[in-house]
Amino acid sequence: MNVYLDHNATTPVLPEVAKYINSIVSDWGNPSSVHAHGRRPKKILRQARAQMAQFFKVHPLELIFTSGGSESNNSAIMSVYHDQVLQQKNNLAEFITSNIEHPSVAKTFDYIESLGSKVHRISVDQNGHFDMNAFKQSLNENTVLVSVMTANNETGAMLPIKEIVALAKNQGALVHTDAVQTLGKMPLNLKELDVDFASFSAHKVYSLKGCGLLYIKTGTPFKSLIFGGGQERSRRAGTENTLAIASFAKAIELLDLEKLNDVETLRNYMEDRILTEISGSKALSQTAPRLPNTSNIVFDDIDGESLLMNLDLKGLSVSTGAACSSGSSEPSPVLMAMGLSRTQAQGSLRISLGFGNSKEQIDYFCECLQQIILRLRSLREERVSHV
Amino acid sequence: MSDKKKVLLAMSGGVDSSVAAALLLEQGYDVIGVTMQVWDYSQNECSIEEGNGTCCSSIDVDDARSVADHLDIPFYVINCEDEFKAKVIDPFVDSYLKAETPIPCVNCNTYLKFDHLVHKMRELGCDYIATGHYAQIKKSTVSGKSSIVTSSDDWKDQTYFLFTLDPDLIDKILFPVGTWTKPELRAYAEKIGLPVAAKKDSTGICFVGKNDYSNFVADARPDAVKSLKGDMKKYPEGDIIGEHQGRHKFTYGQRKGLGVSWSEPLYVIQIDEQDNTVWLGEEKHLYSQKLQVKDVNLLDDIVDGETLRVKIRFQHRGSEATVVKTGEHYSLQFQEPQRAVTPGQAAVFYREDQLVGGGWII
Repeated sequence: MNVYLDHNATTPVLPEVAKYINSIVSDWGNPSSVHAHGRRPKKILRQARAQMAQFFKVHPLELIFTSGGSESNNSAIMSVYHDQVLQQKNNLAEFITSNIEHPSVAKTFDYIESLGSKVHRISVDQNGHFDMNAFKQSLNENTVLVSVMTANNETGAMLPIKEIVALAKNQGALVHTDAVQTLGKMPLNLKELDVDFASFSAHKVYSLKGCGLLYIKTGTPFKSLIFGGGQERSRRAGTENTLAIASFAKAIELLDLEKLNDVETLRNYMEDRILTEISGSKALSQTAPRLPNTSNIVFDDIDGESLLMNLDLKGLSVSTGAACSSGSSEPSPVLMAMGLSRTQAQGSLRISLGFGNSKEQIDYFCECLQQIILRLRSLREERVSHV
Repeated sequence: MSDKKKVLLAMSGGVDSSVAAALLLEQGYDVIGVTMQVWDYSQNECSIEEGNGTCCSSIDVDDARSVADHLDIPFYVINCEDEFKAKVIDPFVDSYLKAETPIPCVNCNTYLKFDHLVHKMRELGCDYIATGHYAQIKKSTVSGKSSIVTSSDDWKDQTYFLFTLDPDLIDKILFPVGTWTKPELRAYAEKIGLPVAAKKDSTGICFVGKNDYSNFVADARPDAVKSLKGDMKKYPEGDIIGEHQGRHKFTYGQRKGLGVSWSEPLYVIQIDEQDNTVWLGEEKHLYSQKLQVKDVNLLDDIVDGETLRVKIRFQHRGSEATVVKTGEHYSLQFQEPQRAVTPGQAAVFYREDQLVGGGWII
């Protein structure tokens, strides 16, 4: 049986979305062209933007399409740096982020820090607790941007974004949130959240890769990360990825948030089974407000690398920490930042469910997991006693 | 579930282990490919040059993956950077600092391929571990015991690097390419369309790259190499005939790059750890008939005083010597004088073509 339980890494393209993409492949023109070939793709683009705007309850021109979540995150953060530090020569400008961000946020701040600006990183522990006191202490009249994720990709823990926004606004700082993992897993109302920037990615919600979205609230200064043509009202140069953009809008149209209750029920069932059936296991951020699909479990005396390979050989796709480009498995820096030891981080498993998972699949997964863990632990004991 | 025997194959991305994967599949095994990531490539400059091909450059990981894709077998990269640093690189550097000339490939086999990977093999429920080594395993028809014997390709034979193996492990090992010669193997890789068929052979030590060994040692322990400067003395008289910038830059038998002009060709005869003296002498001084080895591992019983064929470096053809146990060490007495016996290299024992053990030259 093949069971996919890694929806925080990416999701399958929905059949309806695939069908829709097929129907518009023939509209291959450049949306910027004036002639007939440009008109159809232009219309597809306009409709997609309108749909996304309706979904988020924002104005269509507050949305720009990018190549993905990473570009959206880079764009938002670098834009504020550019405006404040380079344009307005604000050398006192300070930035605040959390210590559990996606690398596309974390490394952008590392870069900004290397250029000489002050960056505060607020800690979030393994229970999902954001250090609000440290945040309040870091926040001051020089803070120009606060960037924290809406929900963490590895544990699913939701950050108290409303409170963070309120405090930041009070200080006059802009707020960006990486909402890549939240879209499609929780209702999201950008107006209510009152953030200035929010990042999203298409392939996390059952559509194509290579497409992201950046929300920029009207009136917020913005500088394109990419130099070039005048696409996206000169806020993102480059010929638009029409098919992926259209697939993104289609997937959002098909999104049925009611079904999330079933996903959550299944996740909880799975987590209960694992925690009861397998000794030496604990779930991270279990008591925190959490995404309904994500579970991160740390197993004592288990090497996540071997666990993952064994599960894969049984047709079970899960992940330890964030998927790494080299395909090799280093302990997740985010889990280490949350206070897990190297060994614990290496023994952790991220299981992220999606709309396609069934109870039968979860039962198969739980049974295999238990067998494998028992075997790995007994081999480990044997090895230790030999040495 | 398939009742085929399962094999964990160490894939380097080179021709040998790639053909090994194809051969195992033909022999009816279920094959799982694995590449050990042993080195942080971000430390090396970015290069897409072919033949960057030593056994652990990142291009090789990609090559191994493409072979696994081509053969449609599961493939994993496992991170062994810490293990590799502790068990291979650090001892390699320490060995140079102790005035030896090390062979890191033996430690890589001892601790990575035939320990770490053997544990992975068990964890993955595999029956065997396989590598692309040029070596064979033969079962005695009399005793039923398996031994490691030299490869069909004399030139490529790699049994020299395998003397530290646990004899109890031999029955768990497969060397699929041991009965092949390199040209046959390459032709076969081409015939079955393996993406790496034309890839150059790896040479040298994988983690050193284009850098030379002494620079690698100096980068690893900049402080330690500062105290390795010393005199060059004429062997055996002891006259000072020059000075050098670090004894880690020299190896036994070295002739080039000594920086001393003399009436006849001079060679490094000896390197003293204590006062850093590098002794230079004539070729005749390079020869010796006796040597001592430590940390001997035996894969089969030997009779004390037995005459065995002994290789004292990888490219050595092997020479007859009597092997006698003397306390913790073994003393070897060669029938013919041997050139440039080098501390840090291995002396590996053979009975005809059977690998029977070996130890480190002191």
